[in-house]
Amino acid sequence: MLFQAMYTLTDLRVLLRETAPLHEFDAEQKAQVQRLLDNLERQVGSLKQEMLK
Amino acid sequence: MRCGAGIDARMVDELTINIDPIQAGGRLTADAMKAVIAYGDGYSVCDNCRKPNRLDYISKPPVAEFHKDLAVWLNMDTARVVPGARRGFQAVAHTYVHKGDPVLLTSLSHYTEFLAIEEADGIACEIPADERHIVTADAAAEKIEEVKKQHGRLPVLAFIDHVDYQYGNIHDVQAIAKVAHQYDIPLLYNGAYTVGILPVDGKNLGADFVVGSGHKSMAAPAPSGVLAATAERAKEVFRTTAITGDVTKRKFGIKEPEMMGCTLMGVTLVGMMASFPHVKERVKHFGRELENAGIVTDALRSIAGTAILSEYPRKHTLTRVDTTASFDTVAQTHKKRGFYLSGALGEKGITGIIPGATRVWKYNTYGMTTTQAQYVAQVFVDIAQENGLKVA
Repeated sequence: MLFQAMYTLTDLRVLLRETAPLHEFDAEQKAQVQRLLDNLERQVGSLKQEMLK
Repeated sequence: MRCGAGIDARMVDELTINIDPIQAGGRLTADAMKAVIAYGDGYSVCDNCRKPNRLDYISKPPVAEFHKDLAVWLNMDTARVVPGARRGFQAVAHTYVHKGDPVLLTSLSHYTEFLAIEEADGIACEIPADERHIVTADAAAEKIEEVKKQHGRLPVLAFIDHVDYQYGNIHDVQAIAKVAHQYDIPLLYNGAYTVGILPVDGKNLGADFVVGSGHKSMAAPAPSGVLAATAERAKEVFRTTAITGDVTKRKFGIKEPEMMGCTLMGVTLVGMMASFPHVKERVKHFGRELENAGIVTDALRSIAGTAILSEYPRKHTLTRVDTTASFDTVAQTHKKRGFYLSGALGEKGITGIIPGATRVWKYNTYGMTTTQAQYVAQVFVDIAQENGLKVA
């Protein structure tokens, strides 16, 4: 899960690169950001459960 | 934010459009970034190294398969990964060049080709580029004859850059290779700006060796690169060790002296491997890259006094431009002098040109989206107009 979270952040990083310097996202990119952030929240939640149990 | 003592996190490409001429093709793909996270430790690709204990035999991760794929992709017989194109030049020069040997290269060759010749005690013999900054087969033939007269023997090797670093011009390597082969001179194809950028067919070009740069053009971490050879030349440059220790009687298996054994043992190699499928795909779409380059180049050309010094229309995304009669005229009276241009670009989120440069400079649009290319083009025009320069 640790790597999954880092890889999700990497995908967000790449999106920042593709849209630099204004970072104005079109509808498709906004949906992608939403999906990635949702995944990240889920992954961080799993990490909390696993590492703090 | 820092990632270590005194080391700021680098966010150049997240925050800006980077037009640095040497950085564009080496930006990592997402997969390479992910591989870097997982394989950052020193000898990280060596977990499953088994006899005969050589990098190109490792099957997990699939390093052996990658080597084979690299050779096939370049249409050569054997490939090795090397710590940068320069180490490929060095390995070939060290194999073929001996003290006093003349070696062909060009008036636009990269300095590391000169250093490779120097280290082997050879003599650098430059084929002059013509007034268009193009190296031709005729000029190569003339130079070979001149070298023969001057040194009493032929060059032992030719280094030819397909695309040079100064102008980003394309040179007719295929025709030059034909000439070189008429004199039995092996040819090293320097693909530092082509391998990973546009399709390269080594044998069709007549190359005995193909050298590419991972960090310049294959979306890989530095230092990384590839040296590929024909079967005939591979036996020579990738010969295996024959040395024996006089006390211990140790031998060193099938290690290759020119490679100094294994080459890229960790993050550089996996970064290169992870990007490879994307790199193979992207070379098929070089036309799109040229279109984006055209958007920026046309905008610069629309600014009165600006001249494109590279061949035009552009055949590569690396371009040399002369703005002495445009942006530099502003620098003469601007309070920031020549730094106003890089400053103004920086304020608009564009980086990569040398701070202070307003006369002759280079840029590279490779990897930009069309939206980004249009943005860069508009920013150049806006800066010109804001500073009173005429725009067509």
